[in-house]
Amino acid sequence: MTTSNTSGRTKRTLGAPLPRRPFFKLSDFVLEAILLAIIVLLAFSAPGFATWDNWMNILRNAAMTGIIAFGMTFVLILGEIDISVGSGLAFFGCLLAVVTDSMTTAGWSAEFAVAVGVVLCIAIAILAGMFTGWVRHALAVPTFITTLAWMAAFRGGAYLLTGSFPVTPYPEWFFFFGSGAIFGIPFQAFVFLLVFIITWFISRYTVFGKSAYAVGGNAESARLSGINVLGVRMAVMAMIGIFTVLSAIMVSSQIQAGNPTVGVTWEFTVITACVIGGVSLMGGKGRVWGTFVGVLFLSIMLNGMTLLNIDEYWQYVARALLILGAVLIYQVQALNARRG
Amino acid sequence: MGPAKLDIRNLTKAYPGVLALDDFSAVFDGGKVYALLGKNGSGKSTFVKCLSGAATPTSGEVWIDGVKTNFKGPADANAAGIAVVYQELSLILDFTVAENIMLGRFPTMGPGNVTVDWKTTNAHVQDILTSLRIDIPVTRKISDLSVGQRQVIEIAKAMSLNPRVLLLDEPTSALARHEINSLLAVVRSLREKGVAIIFITHKLNEIRGVADYVTVLRDSRLVGTVPIEVATPKVIVDMMFGETTLRSRPADLKVGEEIRLKVSGLHRKDKYEDISFDLRAGEVLGIAGMLGAGRSELLRGIFGADPIDGGTIVLNGTEARRPTVARMKDLGLAMTMENRKEEGLIQIMSIEDNLCLASLDEVGQRGFLSHFLQAPVAEKWIGRLEIKVSDALQEVQSLSGGNQQKVVVGNWLNTDPKVVFFDEPTRGIDIIAKQQIFQIMWDLSRRGLSVVFVSSELEELLEVCHRILIMEAGRFIGEVREPENTPIETLYAMCMGETAK
Repeated sequence: MTTSNTSGRTKRTLGAPLPRRPFFKLSDFVLEAILLAIIVLLAFSAPGFATWDNWMNILRNAAMTGIIAFGMTFVLILGEIDISVGSGLAFFGCLLAVVTDSMTTAGWSAEFAVAVGVVLCIAIAILAGMFTGWVRHALAVPTFITTLAWMAAFRGGAYLLTGSFPVTPYPEWFFFFGSGAIFGIPFQAFVFLLVFIITWFISRYTVFGKSAYAVGGNAESARLSGINVLGVRMAVMAMIGIFTVLSAIMVSSQIQAGNPTVGVTWEFTVITACVIGGVSLMGGKGRVWGTFVGVLFLSIMLNGMTLLNIDEYWQYVARALLILGAVLIYQVQALNARRG
Repeated sequence: MGPAKLDIRNLTKAYPGVLALDDFSAVFDGGKVYALLGKNGSGKSTFVKCLSGAATPTSGEVWIDGVKTNFKGPADANAAGIAVVYQELSLILDFTVAENIMLGRFPTMGPGNVTVDWKTTNAHVQDILTSLRIDIPVTRKISDLSVGQRQVIEIAKAMSLNPRVLLLDEPTSALARHEINSLLAVVRSLREKGVAIIFITHKLNEIRGVADYVTVLRDSRLVGTVPIEVATPKVIVDMMFGETTLRSRPADLKVGEEIRLKVSGLHRKDKYEDISFDLRAGEVLGIAGMLGAGRSELLRGIFGADPIDGGTIVLNGTEARRPTVARMKDLGLAMTMENRKEEGLIQIMSIEDNLCLASLDEVGQRGFLSHFLQAPVAEKWIGRLEIKVSDALQEVQSLSGGNQQKVVVGNWLNTDPKVVFFDEPTRGIDIIAKQQIFQIMWDLSRRGLSVVFVSSELEELLEVCHRILIMEAGRFIGEVREPENTPIETLYAMCMGETAK
């Protein structure tokens, strides 16, 4: 896409047919190409990489952060950020566990107790997100600050709720969300794909999605075009909250408890996936598909390195190189496009 | 040092598929002011980029005072003696005049030479300002200066580097008339310093008092340079566009009876007060006034972009109590913002997206939206408004100013409005694009729509409108009922608050 300001470059005479844009350009698929190359490489070098079980394992792990990453994509497109998702994960997991625990103790059925807990978590997530969006809009408080506060509040709340010990109130059927499988495919993978399809669709084929890009691209122009900027901001911040609750349910199910220590630094894993996928922290730019590839990229790299017995500390270094490399590639591409 | 000499030989800049500057050769002498004219896309900005070091020429040479230059970047161009003053200001608002001018090269003193010597700094800057006959205190903060004064300081900053060649890229585009005059006075005083001055502008009327020569670019090529005495408007326009005719308001545009917009007693503290007017179907109403008279603020208030303190607005028979953009849009009001880049468009979105921005709900179907729904809308307005684009999916920032303005207009016309506000729609666009914007207003009027047109170019108002209201310090102080029979001097005097008719 050209972004040159030299107005003299469009010399098409009126009425002439618009030039066809190439249907496929390899430079648009750099990330996908690199990922494919890595998969091929790992398949030959890492023992047990190219097996069904390992792939399901990768999907299972990718799903937990991935679902939140799709919400984060919209947050970043708005030009905002949410660093409370890791703590939120712990808080909602603990809240669900505590609600389930106390209600079943009081004689309610476990099904009903979990349902009440989930509804309560989602309600709180929506309210918290709407509050963040409103404060951003009405008082111009950066979402970094508000969600920094939420981060502390959620983590503290998780410890207060549980007395810092894991709460384990769940019946057998609940473990399906974290460990179950349908046709041999983990339950999380379905949720992951479903959330991907929904958010991808929203981003590309809805007025709401277009409004989010518009607000991120230039909030003032969006406002003066009559777009409901406050509504978009509240909805997006609420959306990532809902996805955080979904992830919390699956994590709780997998570890069979509400544990206040989970999710530490998850916000950065999530943002890393988005950045690898080409989402701009400046707002206005980013694709849900990019985040999808970014999530897989990160999970496959970590999985491959573990299988190759690469030291955990070196995995951090690899992650750093990955972020830097991705950002450099995107930046060089953007600058080249601008120079024309 | 004697007068400078800038000798440009066969300068060419090619972008993929387009020659942006084609074999430009010319000599610019020191002590003279050259007005560089050309419509949007004629190669002016490329010329500036090549000379400022922002772009590397594909071929050709630039000689300054008989020395061949070789720029790798803006720093090299500066060192070679070329200074550029851009339209967008680069001053730091919270710094003083002296701090801004000496930024990065403060005189120092004390142990280790790490303390800024403010006394010398201020005295030095005072000398610079005095030599340019600029009367602005050096310790004043930039944020306390008017836009015109800031532009003057920008020029002083460029001159403080003792350049041999000074490029002024549309320095007057954001200025009111009296500010333009003081800026032009500064430019005239630069002549004595032997600097070669290239003054880029869209405004034919302001070059007369300042330029010695007129240099014209068209379709990436140099058309020629003529002395100012020879350069009548007809000559210049013919050089810029080939043969053209400038149109004025067609006679068949009639003002209807029906009142479309009735504003009474509208006020907002410190912005405007006691504003009342009627706008009829088919009417093109101009609002004239100096910068800061409150014209934009008034339109924004009615449009719902800014709050109002009181008064009534009746649009198409419905009273809008607390206007918001969404509400006014529903009632049939549209407005193109003065500041199209920051407030009218989303630069990183495509032309297609920008054309659908204000009508997303209508273009979409039950909240769903896709390229297949948007593309026909984009195609329609690109065709109707003659927007020059090669690909509607390009980012809108790739367009020239005039075409960007048309995208803003198309975006709003797609909301199917009954009343359209145009706030400075012609700023920074060339004569042909201006004529097209006028034509759009007249077409709206012919279809029975009402138009409010705010412009700092008084000639334009006289040429385009049925009626002109004059605003000063937040109030209407006069009205011109027959623009076609009113001389520009009269309107100008009225705007300065000298006589209210």
